[in-house]
Amino acid sequence: MSIIEVKDLKYRYPDTTKLALDGISFSVEQGEFIGLIGRNTAGKSTLCYALSGLVPHFFKGAYGGSVEIAGLNVRTTDVSEVTAAAGLVFENPFSQITGSRFTVYEEIAFGLENMGLPRDEMIKRIEEALDLLDIRKVKDKNPFDLSGGQMQRVAIAGVVAMKPKVLILDEPTSQLDPQGSEEVFKVVENLTKEGITIIMAEQKMEKIAQYADRVLLLDDAKLIAYDTPEAVFSRDDLASLGVQPPAVTAIARHLGKRKATGHYPVDLEELKMLLAEEGAAHG
Amino acid sequence: MDAMTLYVPRNSPIHRLDPLTKMLYIVVSIAAAYLLDGLWEVAAVMIISFGILLIGKVFRNILPVIALSFLLILSIVIVQGFFNPANETLLFELGPIKFYQEGLVIALRLTMRVINMVCAFGVLVLTTSPTELVERLQQKGMSPKIGYVILSVLQIIPQLRATYAKIQDAQRARGMETEGSLLVRVKAFFPLLGPVILNALNDTRERAIALDVRGFDRDTPKTYLNEAKSYRYSVLLNVLLLLILAGLIVWRVMG
Amino acid sequence: MGKLEIEKLHFAYDKATPVIKGIDLELDNRKTAIIGQNGSGKTTFVKLLKGLLRPDSGRILLDGADLATMTVAQIAKQIGLVFQNPDDQIFKSTVLDEVMVGPLNIGQTLDEARASSRAALAQVQLADVEQVNPYDLNLAQRKMVALASILAMDTPIVIFDEPTMGQDAAGKAIIKKVIEDLQAEGKAVLCILHDMDFAAAVFERIIVFSQGQLLLEGDAREVFKQKELLQQAYLDQPQAMKIAHALGIPGDLLTVEEVDSALARPSQ
Repeated sequence: MSIIEVKDLKYRYPDTTKLALDGISFSVEQGEFIGLIGRNTAGKSTLCYALSGLVPHFFKGAYGGSVEIAGLNVRTTDVSEVTAAAGLVFENPFSQITGSRFTVYEEIAFGLENMGLPRDEMIKRIEEALDLLDIRKVKDKNPFDLSGGQMQRVAIAGVVAMKPKVLILDEPTSQLDPQGSEEVFKVVENLTKEGITIIMAEQKMEKIAQYADRVLLLDDAKLIAYDTPEAVFSRDDLASLGVQPPAVTAIARHLGKRKATGHYPVDLEELKMLLAEEGAAHG
Repeated sequence: MDAMTLYVPRNSPIHRLDPLTKMLYIVVSIAAAYLLDGLWEVAAVMIISFGILLIGKVFRNILPVIALSFLLILSIVIVQGFFNPANETLLFELGPIKFYQEGLVIALRLTMRVINMVCAFGVLVLTTSPTELVERLQQKGMSPKIGYVILSVLQIIPQLRATYAKIQDAQRARGMETEGSLLVRVKAFFPLLGPVILNALNDTRERAIALDVRGFDRDTPKTYLNEAKSYRYSVLLNVLLLLILAGLIVWRVMG
Repeated sequence: MGKLEIEKLHFAYDKATPVIKGIDLELDNRKTAIIGQNGSGKTTFVKLLKGLLRPDSGRILLDGADLATMTVAQIAKQIGLVFQNPDDQIFKSTVLDEVMVGPLNIGQTLDEARASSRAALAQVQLADVEQVNPYDLNLAQRKMVALASILAMDTPIVIFDEPTMGQDAAGKAIIKKVIEDLQAEGKAVLCILHDMDFAAAVFERIIVFSQGQLLLEGDAREVFKQKELLQQAYLDQPQAMKIAHALGIPGDLLTVEEVDSALARPSQ
């Protein structure tokens, strides 16, 4: 059974007339890394909220279709059970720090205390999270005294320690400088190796191409494409969808260099090989 | 940026007391200062509070707070010493101002009561970490949501100060004057306060989402990372304090 | 109009930590980007240019006049600064009113302010939301409102602090056009950036800050090809340049378009 099953999902925020999600259907297998792309108003954040249960429980509004996460029907299940199964991390690190804890260590414990875990289990999970997110050296510092990248990693740690089956990240690096972004991508890579299913909305297409197993492309509340990075970034209509492919793919397209699959490469090494083959063919 | 707390970590017997005992002490000490009338008796209550702060090694830290309430104390002394209708016995004159004995006695008593109140609160606030206080209250049944509000206010208000500085920069950069006449400052009020409030509201909304994700709304009984401290003599001290309070009330009622 | 000369600039927030350690620079009408790691002094430098901070030593001349003799409000008529976080300035209940704050502050009449604000909103493609509450828009849109609010002030020098952060491809294209239009109007543009690709595609002159001093400055192509020096400042090269070098294409190319042209061959 797929870990995520979305069927004809429709959603409209309260006091609005336009659908924020219009008939979205897709499924995700356990352990997959799905990149979520599309222009700013396409519906990526709303989809992230829908996968974690905040739509409809926190945002209310008009809801149609169904979302199943790890066997739980999002609409009919209590929101705290859904968020325990599908953790959400979003753009602004500052507003994800609870503010009621004075050290990073205790901050990570927040969600675990709410889950009612026994003390030794909590400590075990916090220690794991400190290493997974590379924040051990700041464990006694006040979360508000950290850099953007560090704060975001603490926010992720707080969610990951709850051991959700799915981790949803909504543009987690867009407010960070390059160093902070690198730190976050590195830990996301660690997390994929742990077997967590990851959904990440991003504008940095190079990173999506590097990490994603499949890419989900949204525009105007609808699902436009759901395929491998190569396939999606090789589309002819990307510009009209407000998406710029990775530089390698753009260059390959202008040169007309397709792979055997018929798609343009997203990886520099592959482009090099294609050019070398062509060079060899020409003698 | 430091959290907005007066807590001073030290190794003292007072620090090791049950926060609930300290809260009870505040009630008993303030009540005692008001139930007793004689100047010496009220002074004794105040000196006991001083003593506890000294044992807690935090006496020095209460002095700035007393200094802050100095203005209040000064106004009490002036009003009572000068204007009290029961004034009869003239003690001394300072230029045109006459100070009467009755008024000064009342002022002195009131001043000691105020200082005692500040010190009693100090016993709790200076020697108890906010986390310990909130967790103890939650153990006794206070809702974790209230505990959250108490603790987060302590941290988030200082953060607002940093945001305020950035807001001031942004508005000045748009040509807004912030220095100068009263009119100028009044005009600057909304452009400065507006973003502070809007920022805080927006931030609160996003934080509410983050809290939900971390299970804040869950019905499951909460557990604690920090081990519940066992406080020595807690029951003994609480009973003692309650007896003192009861005794004072009875004594007062009896005449 | 709009000439900035910076001489021997020094600044420290507290005596123990100097942040700007001696900067000499002349800003001309080339579109200029400032790049550098967090903490290298970029934002402090820009605040000194706006008079929000005053130098410990050295001076800044605007068209020959020392900034030290001008108030922040006076400087605001000449130099506009778009801050990184739009939520640090938004307080009005409609987008149009918010954009009009700056123009009104610096002396435009109500009609002039309304007209320049509408023009600015059109430039950032937010003309149709002028009556909407800014907080009903998303963060990227609020950034555009903040940008419009400075454009409407029509200053000869415009400084941007991380304008592309959080923007999608369309947003970046709008910002690129705004910057090019400003240059076409004869205005001086200065931009703090972390996005090397955007810097390479849009800016003619690059200034590299490192630890409070100028590490490197000059023509974009010249600066970006200095891989080792950039690494010293913990900076990266533009994607296109890295790809071009990896593919062995000569010429220190800056953008995907340049790489395309260099590689163009008749297709098979």
